Amino acid sequence: MRYLPSSPAEDRALLDTIGVKHAEDLLVGIPEPLRLKRPLDLPPQGSEQEVAWEMMRMANRNTRFCAQFLGAGAYDHFVPAAIDAMVSRQEWFTAYTPYQPEISQGTLQHIFEYQTLICDLTGLEVTNASLYDGGTACVEAALMAVRVQKKRNTVLVSRGIHPFYRRVLETNFAPHDDLKVVEVALKDGVTDVADLQAKLGPDVAAVLVGYPNFLGAVEDLTALAGPIHAAGALLVSVTQEALAFGWLEAPGKAGADMACGEAMSFGNKPNFGGPFLGFLAVKDAHKREIPGRVVGQTKDLDGRTGYVLTLTAREQHIRRDKATSNICSNQGLVALRANIFLQLAGPEGLKGLAAQNAAKAQYLRSRLLELPDMQPVAEVPYFNEFILRYTGDMAALQEACLKESLLPGLDLGRFYPEYQGCILWCATELHTRPMIESLVEVLARVPSVVA
Amino acid sequence: MFLRQRESLSFDRSVPGKRGMDLPRLDVPEAKDTRPAHLKRSGFDALPELSEVEVIRHFTRLSKWNYGVDDGIYPLGSCTMKHNPRLNEKVAGQPGFTDTHPMAPDALVQGNLELLFTLQAWLKEITGLPGVTLQPSAGAAGELTGVMLIRAYHVSKGAKRRVILIPDSGHGTNPATAAMAGYEVVELPSRPDGTISFEDVTDPVTGKVRKGLETLVRELGTEIAGAMITNPNTVGVFEYRFKEISDLLHSVDALVYMDGANMNALVGVARPGDFGVDVMHLNLHKTMSTPHGGGGPGAGPVCCGEKLLPFLPVPVVVRDTVKVGEGEVPKHTYRWDWDRPQSIGKVHTFFGNFGILVRAMTYCLSHGSDGLREATLRAIVNANYIRARLKGAYALHIDSPSLHEVVFSDTLQAKHDVHTLDIAKRLIDHGYHPPTIYFPLIVPGALMIEPTESEDKGELDAFCDTLLAIAKEVEENPDALHQAPTLAPLRRMDETTAARKPVLRWVKPA
Repeated sequence: MRYLPSSPAEDRALLDTIGVKHAEDLLVGIPEPLRLKRPLDLPPQGSEQEVAWEMMRMANRNTRFCAQFLGAGAYDHFVPAAIDAMVSRQEWFTAYTPYQPEISQGTLQHIFEYQTLICDLTGLEVTNASLYDGGTACVEAALMAVRVQKKRNTVLVSRGIHPFYRRVLETNFAPHDDLKVVEVALKDGVTDVADLQAKLGPDVAAVLVGYPNFLGAVEDLTALAGPIHAAGALLVSVTQEALAFGWLEAPGKAGADMACGEAMSFGNKPNFGGPFLGFLAVKDAHKREIPGRVVGQTKDLDGRTGYVLTLTAREQHIRRDKATSNICSNQGLVALRANIFLQLAGPEGLKGLAAQNAAKAQYLRSRLLELPDMQPVAEVPYFNEFILRYTGDMAALQEACLKESLLPGLDLGRFYPEYQGCILWCATELHTRPMIESLVEVLARVPSVVA
Repeated sequence: MFLRQRESLSFDRSVPGKRGMDLPRLDVPEAKDTRPAHLKRSGFDALPELSEVEVIRHFTRLSKWNYGVDDGIYPLGSCTMKHNPRLNEKVAGQPGFTDTHPMAPDALVQGNLELLFTLQAWLKEITGLPGVTLQPSAGAAGELTGVMLIRAYHVSKGAKRRVILIPDSGHGTNPATAAMAGYEVVELPSRPDGTISFEDVTDPVTGKVRKGLETLVRELGTEIAGAMITNPNTVGVFEYRFKEISDLLHSVDALVYMDGANMNALVGVARPGDFGVDVMHLNLHKTMSTPHGGGGPGAGPVCCGEKLLPFLPVPVVVRDTVKVGEGEVPKHTYRWDWDRPQSIGKVHTFFGNFGILVRAMTYCLSHGSDGLREATLRAIVNANYIRARLKGAYALHIDSPSLHEVVFSDTLQAKHDVHTLDIAKRLIDHGYHPPTIYFPLIVPGALMIEPTESEDKGELDAFCDTLLAIAKEVEENPDALHQAPTLAPLRRMDETTAARKPVLRWVKPA
């Protein structure tokens, strides 16, 4: 076995020093009847070459596309070569959580920089070393809101938030009989203000609103903040496409009290949905209620600046059942990818990239609307995703696209019965004009449904 | 490692006009600005302006202040820092995997679904449990999923239960998880050998009586939803009465959750499904060698018994066999099953940390049935070798036969006013990452050492020699240890001020 280093002679020497004849003799602490008396019913070990081929066989069994017009929470962006090169340094990817600051300053300083950038993007003051993904970030945000807002036990969730985020939130709130999640309806693709106002009350701790929402629409956080704050609730923005922060005002500056969501767009591929990068940013006043690892700046004995894990009194290894969360492992290496991506991009790169995404989505939309079977649904501002109603045969559209190695947008009917027949389209900087044109050509050939 | 040069924050070196990323030429009309004026991005305060050269150098220099598994033994007990095979990294980076979209129709991601189905089959055989979900992103997320399954089980029987039992030796995540799942935690006391006590335990100092497992089960009965038990426990000792523990809990229909953080001591040797475990998680970043990445991403799949199958998170990957002609190899197709009415719901936005699962699958295929067992035995041999060599120089607070890790106490050194923290910091001066310290809480001044199977005799000897030299130094020059580390880029850090007056981000100077 190529990963097990000791030679037979060395093994013998180890066992002799321990004072046992066989390695099996060390299992004495496991009662005989509880031991496995047979080999595991699994194939034998494989050479590197054999394993590589088997794994490539599975990778090749997936269908490849010329272009994916699918976003819906997992966005395909260009990944600069510097990111993989840096992240494959063993000092980054094989290190553990930085428990010993004197030999973990690399990871600690990186997290401090990453925290700074997430605060910059969201316009808020405190964040952590990352959370698992957008869905679990919503859970942590909502649980934090009810902790901060003592005596308020209800979280309002806009129906415009990613349906999977909402499902994760409901799953995690289900065990708490004292907490409630209530959905706020959509109107014209954005949160229905009348429904929101009807549901706001003294029991509401927070309101979660998509920014942009799952349908691609830019919710007017500032307008929503008015009634939400008047009712004493916190406004939590949920962003599933963090590149939008290069196009839209920081949620903290637009009225949000907390911002959470998914930042996989910074330096990652869709990767079948993970590992992704959950984030949560909050105001300074709430810093001692934030979940997860937090890095702070301090000095060593000689007065030199350095970084440590801090505010640990919130965490599970100290506070046990009174901790703000059970999270310990997070998405460290994905946060490193985001940090490098953002430092390469800089303010101009990020704004430029976001503007290109907006331009590509607008072009895609205008071209799709030339097709007789594509209809606008609502005229709302959007970033790189939007919905259109398709009056043709959805199955035929799917089939025609796949035949040309194009992955079309998401058929919304499965998630939103009220948007049956609508498609959620996405375009990013990766979509060239010829790709968009070939999509339009393919769709133009799909026969209309005969009434 | 340990470059002696300071690396300032990148924000302090930003120079207007520098760019590290350029954009493709825009081949469509510029975006029309449809944003409401107040939602237009106003600007950034921190995003630095740097060239690619500077960014690369910045992150390269920073990396040199880290210690990784490739630098040498990384003996963090319970964290299981084993070699990270490069094949696993290469495979997980293949575009055939990384370009796949989680919302793509099942027919287009057959390779991914086959991989997930196969990995599940391996985990089922390894644990002896028939159900698996690969969604949880880390061990703590797995714990929460498992405890929510327990809750769903009792709710389905029309009964809500109140209490989760957790040994005092357990990981901090266990009680935090139980609380997140809406339960009250009742602590189980340990016996002097570190295992769970069936009998009541009287504290020799305070005289306070702590109720043992039998008393708690008798008194709380059907209030108990389950117990969360780490096995082998956090002192590396197998709970030898595990079967009795599970029988006792099952007698009141309480379920047994096994924290699988130490499963690397059991793979191929014993199966939790065979000794009464109802549900458990595996840390693939421990047991299956996926890298820790400076704090993640990990993966914490949950395996469960028959009773809990209906409640597993959605979707579940299933295999259909396509009819083929006689004598032909059967063909399989795979799909997601979303139609599971009793499911607890979802615990990850999509299907879990897929890229990590690819690495774990690669690890499994490389090791195979024989290699998995051999890795377990080698890890146990290595830990016992360290135990044999250091016993005497360091106190073994608990002397039971231990498996994959060994926990020493600082009681011999404390006489010289040298404590676990000092010993850990001195190891840094010798070029080693310290062990886990001050955990588990039941061992005073714990030094928890886990070498894993990745170390050969030479590396183990060098590490032991160093710890023996430190033990000697404690007797000869204890004061020197209080100064450690002196050879690292920084000396000890002021953690008190860091917590009292937190500076959690860089702020642009006014």
